[in-house]
Amino acid sequence: MSAGRSLWSAGWLRFRKNRLAMAGAVAVLILYLAAIFAPLLTPYDPVSHGHLPEMRHQPPSWQHPLGTDKFGRDVLTRIVYGARVSLTVSFLAVALSVLLGSLTGAVAGYSGGIVDAVLMRIVDALMSIPKLFLMLTCIALFSRSLLLVTVLLGATGWMGTARLVRGQILSLRSSEFVSAAEALGARGGRIVLRHLIPNTLTVIIVSATLKIGLIILVEASLSFLGLGVPPPTPSWGMMVFEGREVLLDAWWVSTFPGLAIIVTVVAYNLLGDGLRDSFDPMQFT
Amino acid sequence: MPEELLRIDSLKTVFHTEAGTARAVDGVSFTVGRGETVGLVGESGCGKSVTALSIMRLITDPPGRIESGSIFFEGRDLLSLSEKEMRKVRGNEISIVFQEPLSSLNPVFTCGEQIREAIALHQKLGRRESRERAIEMLRLVRIPDPEKRYGSYPHQMSGGMRQRVMIAMALSCQPKLLIADEPSTALDVSVQAQIIELLAELRDSMDMAILLITHDLAVVAQMAERVVVMYAGAVVEESPVRELFASPAHPYTKGLMDSIPRLGQGLERLPMIPGTVPDPLELPQGCRFSDRCPQRFDRCAVEPPLFELPGGRRARCWLRCGRDA
Repeated sequence: MSAGRSLWSAGWLRFRKNRLAMAGAVAVLILYLAAIFAPLLTPYDPVSHGHLPEMRHQPPSWQHPLGTDKFGRDVLTRIVYGARVSLTVSFLAVALSVLLGSLTGAVAGYSGGIVDAVLMRIVDALMSIPKLFLMLTCIALFSRSLLLVTVLLGATGWMGTARLVRGQILSLRSSEFVSAAEALGARGGRIVLRHLIPNTLTVIIVSATLKIGLIILVEASLSFLGLGVPPPTPSWGMMVFEGREVLLDAWWVSTFPGLAIIVTVVAYNLLGDGLRDSFDPMQFT
Repeated sequence: MPEELLRIDSLKTVFHTEAGTARAVDGVSFTVGRGETVGLVGESGCGKSVTALSIMRLITDPPGRIESGSIFFEGRDLLSLSEKEMRKVRGNEISIVFQEPLSSLNPVFTCGEQIREAIALHQKLGRRESRERAIEMLRLVRIPDPEKRYGSYPHQMSGGMRQRVMIAMALSCQPKLLIADEPSTALDVSVQAQIIELLAELRDSMDMAILLITHDLAVVAQMAERVVVMYAGAVVEESPVRELFASPAHPYTKGLMDSIPRLGQGLERLPMIPGTVPDPLELPQGCRFSDRCPQRFDRCAVEPPLFELPGGRRARCWLRCGRDA
């Protein structure tokens, strides 16, 4: 959309005034930049095992601001490279779950009747399966990989979005602009894609942002259990796990990746809350 | 009488609700000629809008259902068309303008985009061509500075402007019939007159028929050639507009006209029709209007048929039985 002050630009003005939300947005941006430009930020190799024994479990110093782990690898370097895993997996998983969830919710809400009933019962059934066990089973059955973890997180996280979108569509379904579009001869699919989903987009984006934080936590838990991304690829959850045995002697090995998880989740939640306050139409009615 | 464009034959539309079956449209028949303007008049809840939605086949099913009857448009029965064929009729051959111009526009797209989309639904035009057509339509409905207004969002426009945009969308494919469902009711009085004037002009220049649904008899007197009066889901009177205002044939029509305020008439209270429209869930036995009618007599216990009167008029009242004929 080119001209005019749209809902988007009005929302952006509100968003910019919200300091916490802006802080969250800046933090998320920095995290992504750090992940993308990781090789430029640190001279060390995140996966190499070929360090001298005396390099192991070094406390924070000028050479290694966050210390080294049991193989002598720089913790800061591994956190920065680990951000790649956490951010990529969470972003793609949420994108997948939003896609699945909004399409299912939109089709269910627009069609109504038997289609709605069947789709929503499927959602109910999937929601009643304990997610962690489902994921553990799948990871045990197939070989561990970044792709598998992403798909699993995405495929188990879309039901909430489906319900949210369905509710939105149900209330939009009876609005006059939908009748007007039908009266002009528009097809059902066109009405869903052109008229219904764009009107729920703000709500979808807000819920997706809030969900990214949750997915990062689940991914960290999986890695902590040794079921996430296979080593030696650094991931935050696994780093916390690896430092667990030496927590008293070398606290930095677990603490800093743990802090990274907290900072990221908080940043995403601040961003999501800010987006909701600025863009969610339900807040102004 | 112009050539027939639309003929509705004993149309029955019902709504199945938890409280029972509501007979919203109960055996309605009337015609609209090519290029003709027919007013469809009645109180709220008398079935005017349901008739309009039935013609477009936009009754939500469930709970609604077109139970029986036929709707012939240029000789084709719309009720026998497939949904796909019906979509080609909607917006292309028959268009509708709704009452509420704010909520009839999608808030997240510009007005111009929405007109462009209406055009693209039925005509294979390139992006630039359809955009130019949309600007042309904005100019046609007298929106000042149409190139600039193309990029305006609905919330940036006044009610009258938005209704003009709705009209532009409805007329973008040059329909043969426009159904205007209370097109001016939600607008300021001064804007109402402009919209009605615009519709009349466009009707003449585009040679289309209009089915004008309203409860405002002044609008009907201004625009329509013929009037169909509905009461409780049925047609109670049909008449050319002049004769209707000169001598209403049905007591309900007379009651409607008496309740219009007139200048210079020093009445303390306007006369009104006592009671309310009967609940479509339980229509009264006999004449539907009998319990509110000042002229009721014993024959009203049986529902009267539509009597043919001279001058192409019809009335559903026993008082007209045998008289004037």
